[in-house]
Amino acid sequence: MLATIESAVVFGVEGRPVTVEVHVSNGLPGFTVVGLPDTACRESRDRVRSALLSSSLPWPQKKTTVNLAPSGVRKQGAGLDLAIAVGVLAANGDLPPDAAAGVGFVGELGLDGSVRAVPGTIALVDAVRAPCVVVATAAAPEAMVIGGRAIRPVRSLADVVAALRGEAPWPEPPPLPPTAPPDPGPDLADVRGQRVARFALEVAAAGGHHLLMVGPPGAGKTMLATRLPGLLPDLGDREALEVTRVHSVAGLRLPAGGLVRRPPFRSPHHGSSGPALVGGGSSWLRPGEASMAHHGVLFLDELAEFAPSVLDALRQPLEEGSIRVCRASGTATFPARFLLVAATNPCPCGDGGPPGACRCSDRARARYGRRLSGPLLDRFDLRVDVGRPASGELLGGDPGEPSAAVAARVAGVRALAAERGTGTNAAIPVGRLDELAPLSAGAAAVVAGALRAGSLTARGLHRVRRVARTIADLAGRAEAVGEEDICLALQLRADPEVLGAAA
Amino acid sequence: MSGQLPPPAWLAALASLPGMGPARLRTVLSDRDPEAAWDQARFGALGVAEDLSRRWVMAARQIDVEALWARHQSAGIRVLSPGLAGWPRNLHDDPEPPALLFARGDPAVLDRPCVAVVGTRRCTAAGRSLAHELGSDLAAAGICVVSGLALGIDAAAHRGALSAAGGAAPAAVVGTGLDVVYPARNRELWDLVADRGGLLSEYPLGSGPERWRFPARNRIIAGLADVVVVVESDVTGGSMHTVEAALERDRTVLAVPGPVRSRASAGTNALLAAGSLLARDATDVLVALGLDVASRSRVGTVTGPGGSGDQVLDALGWEPATLEQLAERLGTPLGPVAVVLVELERDGWVAQRSGWYERLR
Repeated sequence: MLATIESAVVFGVEGRPVTVEVHVSNGLPGFTVVGLPDTACRESRDRVRSALLSSSLPWPQKKTTVNLAPSGVRKQGAGLDLAIAVGVLAANGDLPPDAAAGVGFVGELGLDGSVRAVPGTIALVDAVRAPCVVVATAAAPEAMVIGGRAIRPVRSLADVVAALRGEAPWPEPPPLPPTAPPDPGPDLADVRGQRVARFALEVAAAGGHHLLMVGPPGAGKTMLATRLPGLLPDLGDREALEVTRVHSVAGLRLPAGGLVRRPPFRSPHHGSSGPALVGGGSSWLRPGEASMAHHGVLFLDELAEFAPSVLDALRQPLEEGSIRVCRASGTATFPARFLLVAATNPCPCGDGGPPGACRCSDRARARYGRRLSGPLLDRFDLRVDVGRPASGELLGGDPGEPSAAVAARVAGVRALAAERGTGTNAAIPVGRLDELAPLSAGAAAVVAGALRAGSLTARGLHRVRRVARTIADLAGRAEAVGEEDICLALQLRADPEVLGAAA
Repeated sequence: MSGQLPPPAWLAALASLPGMGPARLRTVLSDRDPEAAWDQARFGALGVAEDLSRRWVMAARQIDVEALWARHQSAGIRVLSPGLAGWPRNLHDDPEPPALLFARGDPAVLDRPCVAVVGTRRCTAAGRSLAHELGSDLAAAGICVVSGLALGIDAAAHRGALSAAGGAAPAAVVGTGLDVVYPARNRELWDLVADRGGLLSEYPLGSGPERWRFPARNRIIAGLADVVVVVESDVTGGSMHTVEAALERDRTVLAVPGPVRSRASAGTNALLAAGSLLARDATDVLVALGLDVASRSRVGTVTGPGGSGDQVLDALGWEPATLEQLAERLGTPLGPVAVVLVELERDGWVAQRSGWYERLR
């Protein structure tokens, strides 16, 4: 007898519908899975058998063939277990015919018959070709994020069989845990002193400008960076869904409500490999840290310690907001539109802040500087030097402005940018700079002076104008960009000779 | 094949043998002329240790003296040796003189009074501007500025000397072969010094920038100079080697004072504490040379930019500071200070490097 059951597999961050066909016929007892299953998928035979037996359900003593259609696409993961188990039961006549019509199944089976959540539930539920989808209870909040489908959360295979036989109703979805306000994260008020760095952080958050922090060890670069997500507004519905989808596929812990509402903060270690950062992998195309930071902050601490090839891999996402990973097994596109924040020491000895203070040899400085490729450094709109705070500031000084106050200004600027239709100020196209960021007479004079002196290039000018736009917006000057704004933007400019710039 | 080649050709060939340092070359040449020395080197008859002798025999086979000499001539490189015309006057009684010098340009620039202007490669903007000013003023006073063409103070002194209209041409002693520009960033300056002044090295063509060559080079700078001025230096480093070499040779050493907290001035301040003469400007140096000059003091001659510029300059002082520190000292928001700093930078009052501001004048 034949049964066809709907399910799905993950590819990249998308789901692909899969029809599980189970055929049970007379012949030598045996169980074969065909249709390009990977190892985890092939092993489902043993999980399904044990789960059926543990649930006091019969295992067919006949020849059983499972085909995963379309058979040309590689299937990975254990999410098809539940569909295969239901298919075996249906094909063996243990379920009423058509009981599984219009129902899709997504879940992994435990040997005791329990149903477990699988990574990427959102994408899977979205892809299944059925109006009603059975998932593990643990994955229910996540699955319900996608509207338009009936979600049937189950704890065990026995629940499923009882419901399909009509012996019991589908279990009620567990009540959603009360959506506690998301953890606000560390507060900017903890940072003492660092006026310029705090300001740069605010500008970065408001305008979406990538930020490079340079400073000696212990100056507080990491402390500042971890406070950046707290300045960003909550994610909109569409953004939240995109982020949740990536996090779900990557197997990250999702918040209680199912949807990721706060901008994520990812800080991969500098030993990370290229695929870990941008996504990939040989058997399963996994999203990388850059995608997990989608609509959030990607913080690269010790930027110069990253392998240069790894950093160069970030250039595509920085340019396009997404990553195409191509492997022999297929091509996946991962979203990756993040705010890049990087921190580095000025030189190997770390003391090379004030001129004349560094103890490194020229060669060591030059080698250190070469580790950062020009094209990558070129993506930073902002560069700020973070010095060690004075002891007086650490012990006595007033607490800084709290995150909430700064976040309110940031939200205002972001709303302004959205009104202008440019997304963020960092994305203002060159052609619209004159219209959106006109220069006041004083500002124009400053720019002209800098251009004449050769300290500003045409390309640098565009970035300075975008940053100045953000600074003016923060100060509540919605019209022309003033002299003060452009001067501050010049101060926060990332010049290409960031490191290794010896005498 | 031999016979037509002048003695310097054989000298150059001898100098390019491996392990041939100045002392050994002097010994070798003490009782034979260069051509004879070369012939004996080829046959291992120079009377040196056997393994060295064998290395020289091997190396000498690889060297085509005629082609080597042609390379020197096409590059405009002369070979100077003691006792012959062009040998710098100050090296005649040097305790540790080079056995020969390769020269581009005109070594006769060293006939003028010579002042070595040396200092650290990791200098402050103030130091660089002072070195430039010293170089320019000394050249204008007819002094040959000698330095090492390194980054930082050295290069600034050379640039200053070259910038003085109608001034005396500078000379440089480098620690590599004259065809190996090091640091490569100074190539333009290197050629300018060679074209308008004199470029010297005791190392044969093709010698790379090995570490040990630079202290040795510094002793030649000290030897050539009548007076040594240290503009900025840490308590250790190449400039201190030059100072030691200068003291061995009884040369007067002057040091430019600097802020007590600046690492770049720690060495010069220590020199002053130990009794070196004070170099505030070119006048002090000229006085040390025994030249009669009208005193020109720079203190008080500079009038500030006026207004808020003066306030910011006062807050900045003579030590590097960041925008944040300045705003803190002035007790004002960042914006207005940024505006003033951009103006000051435009007008040449301050220089900015990776977020640090330094006062220039």
